[in-house]
Amino acid sequence: MKGRCSNSPGLIRGKENCQSDLCEMDDQGCPRCKTTKYRNPSLKLMVNVCGHTLCESCVDMLFVRGSGNCVQCDTPLRKSNFRVQLFEDPAVDKEVEIRKKVLKIYNKRDFDFSNLREYNDYLERVEEIVYNLTNNLEVEGTKQIMEAYQRENRDIIQKNKAKLTREQEELEELLLLEQQGNEQRRLETLQEEQRQLQAKRKSKQALLDELERSHVPATILLAQHKDRAAQLETQIEKQKQVVKTTIFSTGIPMGQTVSLLTVNRLEEVLYHYQPIHMHTYGPPVPELEQLGRLGYLNHVRTAQPQDMAGGYNSGLACHRAIQDAFSGLFHPLG
Amino acid sequence: MFHISSQKKYWTFDNEESLEQLRYEANQKYRNKMLASGKPGVSDAVFLEAHEENVLFRHYEKRLLDFCNAFKPVMPKSVVGTAIMYFRRFYLNNSLMEYHPRTIMLICAYLSCKVDEFNVSSTQFVGNLVQESAAGQERALEQILEYELLLIQQLNFHLVVHTPYRPMEGLLIDIKTRYPLLENPESLRKSVDDFLTRVTLTDSGLLFPPSQIAMTAILNSASRAGLSMESYLTECMGLKEDKETLLKMYDAMRRIKSLMKKYELPKPDEVNAYKVKLERVHADFGTNSNMYRGESVYGLHKINK
Repeated sequence: MKGRCSNSPGLIRGKENCQSDLCEMDDQGCPRCKTTKYRNPSLKLMVNVCGHTLCESCVDMLFVRGSGNCVQCDTPLRKSNFRVQLFEDPAVDKEVEIRKKVLKIYNKRDFDFSNLREYNDYLERVEEIVYNLTNNLEVEGTKQIMEAYQRENRDIIQKNKAKLTREQEELEELLLLEQQGNEQRRLETLQEEQRQLQAKRKSKQALLDELERSHVPATILLAQHKDRAAQLETQIEKQKQVVKTTIFSTGIPMGQTVSLLTVNRLEEVLYHYQPIHMHTYGPPVPELEQLGRLGYLNHVRTAQPQDMAGGYNSGLACHRAIQDAFSGLFHPLG
Repeated sequence: MFHISSQKKYWTFDNEESLEQLRYEANQKYRNKMLASGKPGVSDAVFLEAHEENVLFRHYEKRLLDFCNAFKPVMPKSVVGTAIMYFRRFYLNNSLMEYHPRTIMLICAYLSCKVDEFNVSSTQFVGNLVQESAAGQERALEQILEYELLLIQQLNFHLVVHTPYRPMEGLLIDIKTRYPLLENPESLRKSVDDFLTRVTLTDSGLLFPPSQIAMTAILNSASRAGLSMESYLTECMGLKEDKETLLKMYDAMRRIKSLMKKYELPKPDEVNAYKVKLERVHADFGTNSNMYRGESVYGLHKINK
């Protein structure tokens, strides 16, 4: 990210990802021309195989002079080795490059192995190789291991490569189809809109013409025009609904019956509601709604407007007091 | 409601004898525990008997009542009733020798304020211990917080107590509405309140439903004032036909009244004698080293006298 961008904590660099307008400063300058980076935020950083960054202009400068050595670690470089940096940390970019190369050779997949254990061991070996190459440990030994593997598994590598390309092609085809579909839909909606606009304009023009020419009074003409406009609207609405869908978005065509396993029919006793019967051990308490009619509320403090605003009414307090008074009055014990 | 409450299920007993039995057993349990522990100086004579504990219990109960009455801000009656009920329930299953009533008394009041939603902060609460210095109040607060969970546990987590005050209000409303024979029920209110306060100092709360206690209070005050209310039970409560229930009601009321008559304030010399013993027991065998020595620390005896 450019600058201390606190909102999107991802590693991906790029102006389109950074939503804040305040990120202009870069937290890493180009090691050679430091100032240029700050002045020109649109300048991209390139990274090479040794893991160090250089801005575009510095790369050009470097190869104009013909010398091909990295500024920081002095490894010989080729111009083609520079790739646009995707990640903020150049070490990550370096690892990504190495991983791509390794995986071109080590391209076995999970069904190539007989059990999970072997697959995991294979993956572990791959990781070790990537790690060694990234951190420049035992580069020679690792390279030899890679070559040995390549020689041994040549045909499997070829087969897997072919498989991979086929899958990628299929995916790309699907993507293409989808995109085409989207494009078509977009065009169609645009055309529809155009047509509608035109229709509206025509009717307006027709109204103006009629107002000029005809002898019928203006109010009637306006009413007719309105009618026609309303009719147009309903027509448009209908058209929109007419678009029939024949398949669901998952690809299953509509109207197709899906056969499922038969579900066993469970027959159980039907539930009958029994109201709860509470034994209060006392005389019956009048209902809350009846209290006013029976005259109980005359003997309770009337509710103030403040109380009633909260939903309180004097019947509630009265009812509770009566309930408490009657509950347990005929209690057999004591 | 009372009829589905834990009070009815677990804390309402059949008769006074079962209560006596429980207290006796609590006393015995403590004694046996101490005798079995084999500490030096342990002998039967050192411990309090059940009836001696009873005297002290009544004394401290009275002090709790006075504390609650002197409380600032004014404690609602239900809070006071709940506090005394907690105190009573606690010492039904525990001995006074094991937990000093002076501490338990304050905790009961504190817990009751919380349960009954009478909002008093802890500092405000200990501020009511007027004879204490600020440091003393701090220590009292610490003690309260230490023993609070114990109290809740001994109450078996049954914290809702149904006191007779709301049933009393309900009965008054009912009388005013359905029983025009009695002209001015409000005139009875003062004596009814008085009766209810005295009844909380007896075991009635553990034996009878609060509505029965309230009914007794009202009928008693009415008869004291010379007003007849007999037909209230028969007419309004629909007990004309149901002789059996009517008889049971009268019986319950009689028992409540007799309990009230039996109650008497503990005699000061007895109290002092037993107090000395209690202090000795707590000093020698008390598990809490934090415990205060001497009564004057909480200084409530001034109110007592």
